[in-house]
Order: sequence, then structure tokens, then C-alpha cells
Amino acid sequence: MALGGTIRGKKPTLRLPVEADLAAYNEWMADLRVRRAHSVWHEPAMPATWKERFKEVAKEKQAVLWSIEADGKLIGLAFGYIWGLWSGFDLSQLVIDPDQWRKGYGFDVALALHRYLFDYLDLRRSDLELRADNAAALRIADRLGYVEYARGHEVAYRDGAYVDQVRLLMEKETWQERWLGEREYAPLSPGATL
Amino acid sequence: MFGPTLAGRNGVSLIPPTLEHYKLRTSWVVAPEVGRFWGPRFGELTEERQEKRFKDTAESNTEIEWSTAYEGEPVGYTGIFGIDWVRRDGESGIIIGRHDLYGRGIASEAVRLRTDFAWSELRLHRVHNWIAHANRGSRRANEKSGYKQMGLQPRTFFRSGEWYDEWLGEAFPHTFPEKA
Repeated sequence: MALGGTIRGKKPTLRLPVEADLAAYNEWMADLRVRRAHSVWHEPAMPATWKERFKEVAKEKQAVLWSIEADGKLIGLAFGYIWGLWSGFDLSQLVIDPDQWRKGYGFDVALALHRYLFDYLDLRRSDLELRADNAAALRIADRLGYVEYARGHEVAYRDGAYVDQVRLLMEKETWQERWLGEREYAPLSPGATL
Repeated sequence: MFGPTLAGRNGVSLIPPTLEHYKLRTSWVVAPEVGRFWGPRFGELTEERQEKRFKDTAESNTEIEWSTAYEGEPVGYTGIFGIDWVRRDGESGIIIGRHDLYGRGIASEAVRLRTDFAWSELRLHRVHNWIAHANRGSRRANEKSGYKQMGLQPRTFFRSGEWYDEWLGEAFPHTFPEKA
């Protein structure tokens, strides 16, 4: 597990992360636009520290990291935890390079990733926490089918003030109702083989 | 890190854990009475693993942990974990391992001591937790020290043919009862 494989979206693709991606990760974690929108995966650090982190995440048993690419260019990363007993997923990070915002990549990546969670891994649910003022991420979550189940008050601190946190959940049933046509592999007729 | 000794009421105190306390935990967490609202009742429950946990917790700068003592004997443990020192937020937890002592108010007093310490010594801004909604005793123990519901995660864990919700709580210095 740990380092995630290829998941194709309409334009972007989640792919196996490699060490060469780490410099971009560091830049995004240092970008105040990213830091304002959500918590960082790791704080900016020296290249050697990022290499250590990369080695550690590769050994993780319940966590998965992907890099995100579009048009042959690295544009983001995704990271999450698979719950014990394989029942659900915590989507902890979905970072898109701020220079690539407002191109629809966020939704495309999120849709492809959730197709993988429900259609391929057969997980029961996915959980997400977002800052209450991150309107773009909340719109994506709503469009996918997430429902708010809790609101933490004064959770994140930035720009000299606290901001609330929204916790959201999406069930497999919602995926199946809303995104029935989303399949990675076309269905095979009964008894057919490839 | 381990927390300092906090003397409470009715024979309850929070004390710095010892390795012997850690070794007691493996027998506690595998008991059906204790695990009803908690973990899967399996894991790497070896003495070596407990020694590593003991060492790691002692060295950690993002968690603080105590053993809960009742009349001088260790009966469980509690702490605040994943402390973010910028947000000044952490996640709290408590296990009373001696299920024969349930109903004596040990958890309520342990939570009161822990929560008071979070505000008056650690200068935290917020503490949050997850408790099985059906675990009324634990929920009540936390509510008495100012925890309030911030949501319910539906159908989170499965026991004996039924799904149970998880209660999400949060507490702030201003929600701590004045006379607690």
C-alpha cells in the first residue's frame, strides 16, 4: 500500500509519487494560499527531511500517498488513511498547485479517487474535514455527495483568527446512487473473459 | 510526555505512568467489558510493544498521558493526544481498565483533573474527542467537565448485530464549570 498507483481522471491522473516530486511538495506546503485553504501535510523542510518523510510514508500500512499529474506536469498530491478493518477512508490531503486552481482539476481528481475507493476498494464510506470558509472544497464535497455530520468550533488558526472545521461523510450507497455510470472497467457480460 | 501527579477527590488521582502500568493495559483492553465501546480486541499486545509505547509516549512532545489511580492502585489511563501547539488543540481519551469499578465516578474525576490541567497548565484553547454515543457513562463524564456535542457520526461501529453512532465532543476553557 503506502504509495498509490495510477487512477485516471478525465484530465488529471493520480500516479505513483517519486522522489523528484518532493521539491514541488515543499513549495506547496510553503505557499500561503495552500496554507490558508487547509492544513499542510508536512511543514516545509530541507530536501533530506522530505526524503526521510517519503521513505516513512512508503512503509505505512494504512496510509496512501499519490502525486497528481495533468498534461505531463505535476499539479498536486493526495493523501489519506484507510481505516482499520478496511471499512472506510479519511481523505486527509488533496492539494492542487495554486497556479492550477480554477481549472476543474480538484473535482476531476476527487471524482476519480472516490471511484477508486468505492468501485475498486469496495470501502463503506469516506470521511473528510474541511475549513468552514473553504468554499471551493465544500462545493466539490457537496457535488460528490458528502454530508456534514459535525462542526468543530475554532479549530484551525490562521490570519490571526480561528476558523471552524466541517466534518463530512460520504457513504457507498450515495456513490452508487449518484455516480452509477462511473466505472474504471467496463462491465463484462456474464461468463465473459478478457 | 507524562503528566504530573494530580490529586483529586474520592480517592481518584492522575499519576505519571510507569512501565508496570503499561504492561497492565494489555489485559484491560482485551476484556469484553472494556472493549465494548472501543477497539477490535486484538493487536500487537506484547510486553516489548508496551515497552516501546512507554518510551515513545515519554519522549513525545505532542501528547500527555497519565495513569488513573483509584485508592492508590492503577485502574486505567487518560491523556491528550495529537496536540497542535499552534492551534492549541488536542484529542482526549480515557480508558477505565478495571470494569469491576465502573459506576464509581472514577472517569468523571479523571476527566475533570485532565481538563482543568489542559486549561490552567497547558494553556490549550480546545480539546476534542470521540465517544461511542451508547457509552453514556463516558459521555456524561466528559459533559460534566464542559464537553459539548459538535456532531454525531452515524453507524460508526458494529456490535452484536447493531450499528452504533459516534459522539463528537469539544471543550473550551469557557465551558469548564466554575465549581468543577
